Amino acid sequence: MKKVILIADDSPTIRKFVTVALSVKGFEIIACADGMEAMEALPTQKIDLVITDLNMPNVDGYELISSIRKNEDYRELPIIVLSSLGNTEDIQKGLESGANSYLIKPFDPKRVVYEVSKYLN
Amino acid sequence: MMEQKTNMENIFDKLGDLKSFFIYGQKLIPILQKIIDFMQSTVPLLENVNREIQDSTSKIPKAALQINRVTNATEVATTEILDVVDGVSMDIHSMKDKLQSIKSRMGEDDDLVTLLGMIEKIETRMMNITISLQVQDITSQQLSSVNHLIQSIQEKLSSLVKDLTNKENKEIPSIDLYPRDGTFNADARYDKNSKSQELVDSLVTKRNNSKTSQEEIDKLFANQ
Repeated sequence: MKKVILIADDSPTIRKFVTVALSVKGFEIIACADGMEAMEALPTQKIDLVITDLNMPNVDGYELISSIRKNEDYRELPIIVLSSLGNTEDIQKGLESGANSYLIKPFDPKRVVYEVSKYLN
Repeated sequence: MMEQKTNMENIFDKLGDLKSFFIYGQKLIPILQKIIDFMQSTVPLLENVNREIQDSTSKIPKAALQINRVTNATEVATTEILDVVDGVSMDIHSMKDKLQSIKSRMGEDDDLVTLLGMIEKIETRMMNITISLQVQDITSQQLSSVNHLIQSIQEKLSSLVKDLTNKENKEIPSIDLYPRDGTFNADARYDKNSKSQELVDSLVTKRNNSKTSQEEIDKLFANQ
């Protein structure tokens, strides 16, 4: 059975990049345009990993990660942040909110595949 | 008699004051005339400035719309290129699988090894295309930041026009900040240099190490 990855990013091109990089490796991708959509999509099926941006409308990445971590069912769900925010404070804030990994945009698709495989294989 | 004299002196004093006031007034009239002339020549200038501000303010949403159009066009083009990259990547992936199965059936073959090596090179190049295409996301964030700046200038100019004309300018449409309404990173940079990622990795490692140390300490105390 295919592992399911949820990607939350307000940029359609980034959603497409991640889909292209991961679907070729056999992962199923659910793409959401913001944190709100991601929160609604989470309970609808079994999600194995979440990739999220930080700057998003409605519900941002920090809020999404925090709400995931507050839920007992998703406490162990791997979360990878994919953001263009590259200063120490943002990175620490992202990690402290509960993310497992943090990747800077522009990202190397190989690195995304590596990070995902680290948690799912 | 003495009292009458004092009153007359007072009247003359007052008349003297009045005289000096008129003399001063005579000196002041040309200055006042100059001020009036200056004001008269300034009013059309101010009206012109006001008209220019109103004109510029009404042009601002058009500039913002053009920026949005650029973002949308690059977004569509990037998605189209990515669709092609996706299709080619899938083809390469199945080609690689087939060559691997031929290799396992036929054993080591120089041509097969060469072909697999070439396919890997193509895969790497396709990956590099996707990295380069991420410039669209970065530029769209920068353009959104420019639009945001334009919006604040429009707000300032609109309030200036309102103050000058004493009425709200209803003709100026608002700026649509699509696609990134306040969710952009103005400092986003297209930087393929791995230094930023190295900083992140060092922070993650540091955090994980301190986490491990804490786990070890807890374990140590639990054993005692």
